[in-house]
Amino acid sequence: MSKTKILLLCFPALLTITPFLAACFFIFRFSFSANQGAIEGFSFTPYLELADPFFIRSLLTTFKLASFSTVIVIVLAIPLALVMATVQKPWLRRLLSVAILMPMILNLLIQSYGWIILLGPTGVLNTSLRELGLISRPIMLLFNESGVLLGLVQTALPLAVFPILTATRNISEEHIEAACVNGASHWRCFFDITLPLLKPGIISGASIVFAYNASAFAIPLLLGGRRVQMLGVAIRDYISPLFNWSGAAAAGMVLIALTIGVLALANYLTQRWTVTEYQS
Amino acid sequence: MSNKFTRRHIIKSGTALAAAMAMPSLVFASQDKKFHGKTIRLLTWSDNTGKAIVDHIAKPFEELTGAKVIVDRTGSTSEMVAKLRAVGDKAQYDIITLAGVGAVELAKDGVLAKPDLNKLPNLEQVDPRFRTGADGHGIGYLLWTGGLIYNTKTFAEPPRSYGQLWEKQHDGRLFLPPSTWTDALDTIVATDKLLGGNGAAVNVDQAFSKLAELQSRILTFGENPTQIAELFRADALDIGGVYAPAFYAKELADPNSNMGATYDLDEGFFADLMYTIMPKSKPGEDDVVHAFMNFTLDAKVQGIMAEAVLNGPINQQAKMSDAAKASPFIVKPEQLGSTAIVHDKNYIADVREDWIKRYTQTLS
Amino acid sequence: MRVGIIPQQSGGSYKFTIYLLASLGLLIATLPVIIIALMSFSAAETTSFPPQAYSLRWYIKMFELFQPNGENSDASLQIALLTSLKVAALVMLIASVVCVPLAYVLVRSGGRLKNGMELLFTLPLVFPLVILGIAFLLIAESLDLELGIWRLVIPHVALVLPFVLRNCVGAMSSIDIELEQAAISLGASPLRAGVDIVVPLMKPGIIAGLVFALIISFNEFTITYFMYTVDVTTLPIWMYSRTVSSLDPSTLAISFVIVLIDLALILLIDKLLAGRNSLL
Repeated sequence: MSKTKILLLCFPALLTITPFLAACFFIFRFSFSANQGAIEGFSFTPYLELADPFFIRSLLTTFKLASFSTVIVIVLAIPLALVMATVQKPWLRRLLSVAILMPMILNLLIQSYGWIILLGPTGVLNTSLRELGLISRPIMLLFNESGVLLGLVQTALPLAVFPILTATRNISEEHIEAACVNGASHWRCFFDITLPLLKPGIISGASIVFAYNASAFAIPLLLGGRRVQMLGVAIRDYISPLFNWSGAAAAGMVLIALTIGVLALANYLTQRWTVTEYQS
Repeated sequence: MSNKFTRRHIIKSGTALAAAMAMPSLVFASQDKKFHGKTIRLLTWSDNTGKAIVDHIAKPFEELTGAKVIVDRTGSTSEMVAKLRAVGDKAQYDIITLAGVGAVELAKDGVLAKPDLNKLPNLEQVDPRFRTGADGHGIGYLLWTGGLIYNTKTFAEPPRSYGQLWEKQHDGRLFLPPSTWTDALDTIVATDKLLGGNGAAVNVDQAFSKLAELQSRILTFGENPTQIAELFRADALDIGGVYAPAFYAKELADPNSNMGATYDLDEGFFADLMYTIMPKSKPGEDDVVHAFMNFTLDAKVQGIMAEAVLNGPINQQAKMSDAAKASPFIVKPEQLGSTAIVHDKNYIADVREDWIKRYTQTLS
Repeated sequence: MRVGIIPQQSGGSYKFTIYLLASLGLLIATLPVIIIALMSFSAAETTSFPPQAYSLRWYIKMFELFQPNGENSDASLQIALLTSLKVAALVMLIASVVCVPLAYVLVRSGGRLKNGMELLFTLPLVFPLVILGIAFLLIAESLDLELGIWRLVIPHVALVLPFVLRNCVGAMSSIDIELEQAAISLGASPLRAGVDIVVPLMKPGIIAGLVFALIISFNEFTITYFMYTVDVTTLPIWMYSRTVSSLDPSTLAISFVIVLIDLALILLIDKLLAGRNSLL
């Protein structure tokens, strides 16, 4: 393909992403501002000031929750994608797709009420367990890290299921048959054949989920009862009520850099893993 | 319903009331529909206090003057300030109602105009302490008052002290205001007073180490008032504060809500004057904007608003129903005696950032 | 064809685990929605669960809000819904028109260009939305332009690009270059070959991208929160002011109807574009 043609076909997309890149540059510039409320002068202070427990703690919480939720989402998304790939009836496939998309559609605040009704301290689960005499004090599933984790898993699930579902198209019956009819167990078959074939979808899904959850904002607010200070919330606090916008920009840059770092590392490791596996 | 009752009550009232009303109604009679075709834009809170402004201020103002009021109800005070700061001198709003600290912040930015007090005749009736603020940029609006919210099933008697937040039996059934609200600063001051402070020069370290004891006992922060109301209804919360009854006019009148509120506390309650402000570069017409500001101070409007959202009226002649007058949840200006704690806004402005961060670190 | 992925007969512990995890994922995705749907049919004034009796009263109350000139009609709701639909339509149109040629170039030229561009177009996903919102607002205000509805369309397009592009690239990867070459050797111009051969084959990917674009734009809150004006406001912003001030079954009914609007639009896209190659 000629250079001109490449450029011509890329151009419209580049044009639409330009305002976003301008916003990124703006944030980048703001993170070196000497003034907290406006771009003015040049200073490293916004970054240096991040070295306080307010920021460091939320950074650690964010990466812990984003990593855990990514692992859980992938563990749930692979079986879901496999089931969806095998469903033959069109109406059932439609129903499953719509069900999985649900967390992205219904207003998050309203969904949080749904969870409170189910898992809250006086919710359906706790009341039933108490009536059965299994517990005397309610189990706290919400308004702490477990509640946030649940919410992160729920909202990110569709982001992982669909890439993995696309990857299942690469698996043909021959693959499975060739390996599995000869007496290999279903588990072996899954780990030796299915999983490696799904890998591009899994990596793509996991990266999206990690990035999406690392910058989560509404979920920690609604299901964490504000007690789980993830970075998205901390950045909101910097913007208002702290009105430290250069600090918010610097915190944002650190979050972005670390997210991209983690994604690149994951990419590198999986590539290495593939290569060594191939060689052995 | 209660609103209809109030209006009828006022109409039926005797000559004394009619005399008291004569002045504002004369002013308004001359204004009948005189702003027909004019539009003003109002920014206010997204919670029920903002909703009440639509119903009890904006709509009657439209009927009276013919002007159209476009209301934007989004956010808390600090979110409003962030948005107004970002747009700088190109405000899309004519009038904003917000908490005291927000008006001070924006006045410092230099984006606010000083309203012309001569165009606000209703100010005459306002308690002199609450007429203006934020260096003349803010016009007093209503009093935001905070105390303790409690569960009427758990408490036979209303709590008498903030110290009851620390009682062991409320472990896991406790809420505090979110760090982003002024009420969180109130909570720090309340803790200080509980420990023997005077509420002015706060012993912060001591207050925070006391608050730290609550860290594992909190169920949630009251970021979302309706969520708190639901948790009370489900009997999952016992007590919380410092928090404003203003969110719960409906719940406090409903015994099934399990919700009670009190200001009658040994350490006192908190009062903060809220303001209406106007940006320098407002798009609307000056006269209409002033007329609206004036209207928020009208004796009748102040009475209705006080009853609707349990804020304290600042108009000394505010027309309230007997029920509202007797309501323990509405603080009248004359009740702001020794038990009301009113922050020194300059002191708060100095310590604010530090306190917000420490509050978050200590409790989350 | 894909029956082999999950064994139909036998399969023992493997099959059991797959179905168990898939059901768990489905439950997590849909439970809050089911609860909310049930409660919106409650006959009671308050949101206690489970409802003692069921009725349509909240739906009747809600439909009054949508009536053009009724006593209880809410003009702001109708305007917000219309704006949301307009924004979503523009976002879907723009995002797909620019992503299809880009996906084509990336897959056909591959290599470093593909990796670089894919990373670039993943960025909007990584950025914390709160800070992006304020950056967009500061830029829009400093430009001094009367943007109207484009205030929202421009940032929304940036947000959906990662999803639309990924889906298009995914679909493009499975298209054999020989088909295109065959068309050209039969005398078609490269452009004709692209439009007539490649685009129809990319359809499933394009539709998946459109569905994500629709859902994201129609439900976007955080950036919109900074960018909306009193004249250009969307349904999620309208919902926000409503849910913060009161929560009763009528609010739940409205959110459930919004879900139904989403679903209707998704099915419409699917029906209009997909024909037999239905995604869902």
